[in-house]
Amino acid sequence: MSGKQGSRRVAWRAGVLTFAIAACLGSVAGAIAARQESALPKPSAVVKPSAYVSLEPVPRGSDFEVAVVIEIARGFHVNSHTPRDPYLIPTTIKAQPTAGLEISGTKYPKGRDEKFAFSPDKPLDVYTGSVTILLHVASRASAHLGANRLPLTLRYQACNDSACLAPVNVPVNVKFDLAPAGTKGRAVHSEIFASASASH
Amino acid sequence: MRKVFGGILGLALAGVLGVAGCGHNTVSAGSSAGSSSVGLAEPQVTFKDLQGASVPLVSLKGKVVLVNFWATWCDPCQAEIPTLIGLQQKYGDKGFTLLGVAMDDDGKSVVEPFVQKTEFTVDGQKRTMNYPIVLGDDAIAQKFGGLIGYPISFLISRDGTIQKKYLGMLNAKEMDQQIESLLSSAPAS
Repeated sequence: MSGKQGSRRVAWRAGVLTFAIAACLGSVAGAIAARQESALPKPSAVVKPSAYVSLEPVPRGSDFEVAVVIEIARGFHVNSHTPRDPYLIPTTIKAQPTAGLEISGTKYPKGRDEKFAFSPDKPLDVYTGSVTILLHVASRASAHLGANRLPLTLRYQACNDSACLAPVNVPVNVKFDLAPAGTKGRAVHSEIFASASASH
Repeated sequence: MRKVFGGILGLALAGVLGVAGCGHNTVSAGSSAGSSSVGLAEPQVTFKDLQGASVPLVSLKGKVVLVNFWATWCDPCQAEIPTLIGLQQKYGDKGFTLLGVAMDDDGKSVVEPFVQKTEFTVDGQKRTMNYPIVLGDDAIAQKFGGLIGYPISFLISRDGTIQKKYLGMLNAKEMDQQIESLLSSAPAS
């Protein structure tokens, strides 16, 4: 190999090395950028709702409670059920009409006054962390015996400290067994209902 | 040595693919952010104003435009409105305009009373929104690359190129610098 060929090869390798370093740096920058974007989740991913029924099974003709526990992602808040600003969207839960089942009351937890970077002087009435909404349900004689389902829709609008996500409706399915009238229902999830009652 | 260079080439290719795979928008809360839409021509989109008239974005070509996506339910959007009023007041007669795109699902029925009645304190004075407001929807949001969070703003130069994208509340000083810089560039011929 001549000296000229050798120096060409060195130059070529240096070029490849420079290209590789630049490309790798670009890749890292791209990964960081992707993480920044992923810092804002889809609205439906901010809150995870879970539903619990107070009796197992539920005797037909009796009243029972449903606790909808909503876990709000760290760094986010949703408006309480009673935000002060009339333009803000309250957190609500609504049931779709279901034969033999009637929502006779809904209890929302109290919100917390919190200040944010965009609202340093005006506290907002919000939910953060974990909160529980209680629904009082009456089962009528026309309710379907056996495996039952009460479809609910949770609506909320979430923000972090600098930006807000669009309001969203999230389905919550409540599943339970409905037994003939006179069956003795066992109280279940009592710790959830006790804790929720204390915070309302 | 060949193995070493093979590895380097592999890394290089992976890096290139990594960059290519990052074609989606980059956003960082509360500040300007790089974006795949930055540097591109503004989308061809026509808004409806609160009176129902069509407002093609291209009709604003020749001006520096700050397209601000907001909603009445968005608290940080409300919080930055005094800054936006100030920008329109300061640069509105110098070849700049703000364009507020309201993303409320209920549209005019909720946006119009908000725009007409809500007062904001700007430099110690009560002011209502002093810039054009149009209505947006998901299709329009898609044309801007798909919008997840609000407020989100796009600064567009006189020639219709998206220069900056901002997620979260705008910084007034930064906006002054950016707008003045774009205004000082030659108007599109």
